[in-house]
Amino acid sequence: MNTLVAEPAKKREGAQPDKKTEASLALRKRMGDNLVAIGLHRDEAAFADVYSYYSGRVKSFLMGKGMNDEIAEELTQEIMLTVWRRSISYDPKKAAASTWLFTIARNRRIDYLRGNSRIEVELDDEMLDVETTESDPQAKFVSDAQSAKQLERALEKLPQEQRQVMHLSYFRGQSHGAIAKWLDLPIGTVKSRIRLAMQAVRSSLLSEDESLHDNSTESS
Amino acid sequence: MNVQHHLTDETIQDYAAGSLTASMETLVACHLTVCNQCRHKAMLAENVGGSLFDDMEPAAVAGSAMDLLARAAMMPEHSAPSSPASKPAFKGVPLPLARQLPADLDDLDWRRIAPGIKQFNLSSQHRKHGAFQLLHLDPGVVLSAHSHNDRELTYLVQGSYTDEIGQFKAGDIADLDGHDQTHQPVVDSKEPCIALIATQSPVNYSGVFSKIMQPFVGI
Repeated sequence: MNTLVAEPAKKREGAQPDKKTEASLALRKRMGDNLVAIGLHRDEAAFADVYSYYSGRVKSFLMGKGMNDEIAEELTQEIMLTVWRRSISYDPKKAAASTWLFTIARNRRIDYLRGNSRIEVELDDEMLDVETTESDPQAKFVSDAQSAKQLERALEKLPQEQRQVMHLSYFRGQSHGAIAKWLDLPIGTVKSRIRLAMQAVRSSLLSEDESLHDNSTESS
Repeated sequence: MNVQHHLTDETIQDYAAGSLTASMETLVACHLTVCNQCRHKAMLAENVGGSLFDDMEPAAVAGSAMDLLARAAMMPEHSAPSSPASKPAFKGVPLPLARQLPADLDDLDWRRIAPGIKQFNLSSQHRKHGAFQLLHLDPGVVLSAHSHNDRELTYLVQGSYTDEIGQFKAGDIADLDGHDQTHQPVVDSKEPCIALIATQSPVNYSGVFSKIMQPFVGI
């Protein structure tokens, strides 16, 4: 499999973490503003900017997950059309533009392959556990520029081997087992790298929040 | 719901990456419904995916934004997808599962497979691709000891059981993953225990009798 060698586009070595983080945050803001502008007044220039940045990434994701060029191109156009038409439902307080795009592409791929939709939590489910949402520091991170910065920083700090496995899992492999085969590693190693990466990201968000949440054992 | 047993980080990440089967997704979404702690982890995993998405090497795209907008102008716009018409209200069943049930738990067409054990199959696929089913276990039932080659998820819909790992109650998830540990669940609730189970590959039963039973139990 030649997709094996797929690596994050930018070389990390030597990059200045803070500059990288700032560039990521600037991009996040620009793309979020673009989606809002499309949603509010069908801003074609904003769409062109989103398209030029994300269509190639959407297609790369679809092909990396095993689709041929022709089908990936077609689905990419569909996904970008969805972006154009559904931007009104994009809420910059809830997610970064890249997260919104990624979930649309992920779900469309699942629809296409399975013929039925991805199964997700329904937020109006009577069984939904909402009790402590407001008091949980993890709950607010997406709506918060400071937390977005922490997330970017935490990802920057991940060891290359963890970052590689995460990248492969999101955008290349069909399963953790397939990734293990590609990298010629035991599957337990792949899983533990993923676990460590998730824990590192989570604890970095929590630790920088600690000062605010120190005495929040009883929720406010 | 006082959830004690949670999804692993790996399973949550796999769910966020979109790499699970529909049956595994159902189990994960059921637990995420009743466990805001895991739900926030899943949200974080999606945000990680989004952040890494920006780092990808883009592929060459043939179409252009302006072509797409020109095409869009000529295509009728579907009205926003209406939310699924009816929302099933089966007590104690999260919607991701409820939407796949033809009737309430009491009215399902349960198939008796052993004394005290009934099954309702949710998947028509062959067992070798993994099982997706509900098990209805009478109080006191002891399941055969077994281990797993691959991932097995169990979501407790009602009642409780105890095995080598601990006690599992409604809302809990047992996220077992290919470890060789053999476990033997014992139903310890007064009411029947109903468990939703998805496996990626068949289960290894320890005893000869269990091996004979396996085709019938299907897990």
